[in-house]
Amino acid sequence: MTLFLLTGIMILTYAMLVCHRIPALIQNFRLQSLFLFLVTLDFAVRQKEAGVFVVAGLLLLVKVILIPSFLNHLVKKIRVDERLGLFLNPLLSLIAALFLTWGAAVFCAWLVSDSPAVVFAAFVVSITVVLVGFFIMVFRMKALTQIVGLLVMENGIFLLASSIAGGMPFFVEIVIAFDVFVCAIITGIFMYRINKVFTHIEVHRLTDLKG
Amino acid sequence: MLLFSIVIIPVLAAVLSALLPARLRGMANLAAHGVLLALAGILAYRISPGSGIVAFGGVLRADALSAFFILLISLINLAALVYSRPYLQEDIDGGALSVRQARGYDILFNVFAATMLLVPLLDNLGHMWVAVELTTLASAFLVGFYNTKASVEAAWKYVIICSVGITLALLGTVLVYYAVAAQAGTKTLDWSVIMGRAAGLNPRIMSVAFLFILVGYGTKAGLAPMHTWLPDAHSQALTPVSALLSGVLLKTSLYAIIRFAMITNKAMGPEFTSRLFIFFGLFSVAVAGIFLLAQKDFKRLLAYSSIEHVGIIVFALGVGTPLAVFGSMFHALNHAVTKSLVFFAAGNAVKKYKTHHLHMIHGLVQTLPFTAAAALVGLLSLVGMPPFGIFMSKLMILSACFQKGLYGPAVLLLLFLAVVFGALMFHLSASIFGHKPKGIESGGEALSMKLVFVSLALLLVLLGVMMPTPLQALLVAASRLVTGGGL
Repeated sequence: MTLFLLTGIMILTYAMLVCHRIPALIQNFRLQSLFLFLVTLDFAVRQKEAGVFVVAGLLLLVKVILIPSFLNHLVKKIRVDERLGLFLNPLLSLIAALFLTWGAAVFCAWLVSDSPAVVFAAFVVSITVVLVGFFIMVFRMKALTQIVGLLVMENGIFLLASSIAGGMPFFVEIVIAFDVFVCAIITGIFMYRINKVFTHIEVHRLTDLKG
Repeated sequence: MLLFSIVIIPVLAAVLSALLPARLRGMANLAAHGVLLALAGILAYRISPGSGIVAFGGVLRADALSAFFILLISLINLAALVYSRPYLQEDIDGGALSVRQARGYDILFNVFAATMLLVPLLDNLGHMWVAVELTTLASAFLVGFYNTKASVEAAWKYVIICSVGITLALLGTVLVYYAVAAQAGTKTLDWSVIMGRAAGLNPRIMSVAFLFILVGYGTKAGLAPMHTWLPDAHSQALTPVSALLSGVLLKTSLYAIIRFAMITNKAMGPEFTSRLFIFFGLFSVAVAGIFLLAQKDFKRLLAYSSIEHVGIIVFALGVGTPLAVFGSMFHALNHAVTKSLVFFAAGNAVKKYKTHHLHMIHGLVQTLPFTAAAALVGLLSLVGMPPFGIFMSKLMILSACFQKGLYGPAVLLLLFLAVVFGALMFHLSASIFGHKPKGIESGGEALSMKLVFVSLALLLVLLGVMMPTPLQALLVAASRLVTGGGL
């Protein structure tokens, strides 16, 4: 079951790299978060811990429902060009992602050599998700893609926390989820402001400050 | 109760700022931050023997190290608050800000203060992570406060780059958690519990975790090469906030790094963290030196100088002897006081000349005599002249370095510091002295600003000439905690 969910997350992560339009990227993020929720739920069912159920529910609320809806709302409101602006085309991005995955696998083999296969797989998938999130932040032009990239990185870390370490302490997970939500809102507000002052949200054109 | 009050007072002040009219608001804030500084002093005094205070069932915990950082934060907070009042009033009179925005500033200032004060008081490393992230989010609005192109750009870079850094730090935190769970089967992120079991943690995982922590929190601490957001944010923020960002916010991230370094040192010996600290420290001082030479913007100049000083502090942590760690803490305090003083002076100058460009700011002595004196004192202190505190802390760090036989790093540090010395003297002496441009009138320094200048300058001299005994006891206790041995 865990392996199935991990595969799902992996496919969705790669799929983010072939997105051309903003709504598609947000939708993809929503699906990835849904799988993250399922991983946590699966864990909660097996552990039979009330706290983990609450954490799973919170993930569903924050990452699957609230944040994607907020981003969609924002995109509609600022009415910008929906194209993502790719510095690297989908094919090359996918090839890069494969290399990142390979790198993550080598790194994890060195780090946790003597762990069971499922833990190893979870480790590799999590690190790959973090790396791809960072990749999206760097190789896509819009401010919105930087927000999504950041959220993807955080998804990777959540996955790592819940699949290898059995979830962080209950209260810690709650505050972190809350913090991620606040962060998404605030970066969203700044994106709105960028659009207002610059009349675009292309971060590579923000070059007033130098030296 | 003491710890709880330190956290709750700025929150209350934020609520009051939202409700009260302007005049009462100013008085309430002043009272709140005055009380905070007093409480920080009491905490520092009470805690000196080396024991910890716990509150709220272990959620809040303070030892000498936290007490020192609380003292640092509340001191600079109070100075920034007193300076803000006339600074904002001028902006309101000049039409740059509305009365409503000034209220917003007061609220944000207090929220920012609350998040910073929370960081050193949280025992749980996950909670601490959240608090550090909240400091970014709270201060982002203060960076982008003027809503101009430059300030919005700076705020965006600040939020995004620091959030990525912080995310990497979360990865490091999760790895530490994993290492603890794998070793003892205990699922905990409480620092005090982890410290008790750190000796048996898997060194390989801990080394990777610490790397993530250092790069992650190091981004927010302004270590090169992750510093790129810093000059933008620190130069575009409102001046009192620039002082807070440079003076104390960088240090709250350093605090987080120190906490993790203590665990890592116990798990795998001090060699590993020491080498990393020395490398990143030297690299930051070198990068700062190069950018300082070519700098044209007054506030950016000071921002790069902050990178330099963070480099020195981290370098000293890497040297790692009790004297070096003592010096690094002392340097953190000296730098915070000095940098606030110079930033406040820079803020006045920038307002007077209506430009950030160094080559257009000349003859401060004639236009703003008090500010010029403050800038001069700050400048001499920044470059490490006696009788100011930074001279003493640099001396401690360098002699510790030589004592330990680290000749190469010590010589490199001295070389980079010489570059910084030249750059700062060259740029700032021209601004302080020189001929004032035509069309700029003299005068216009508010009494409360003068008061801040004088008290900070006096404090600098005091720190350089004779360190007060209670402060010395606190620093000894804190550095003893960090090195895990006697002094």
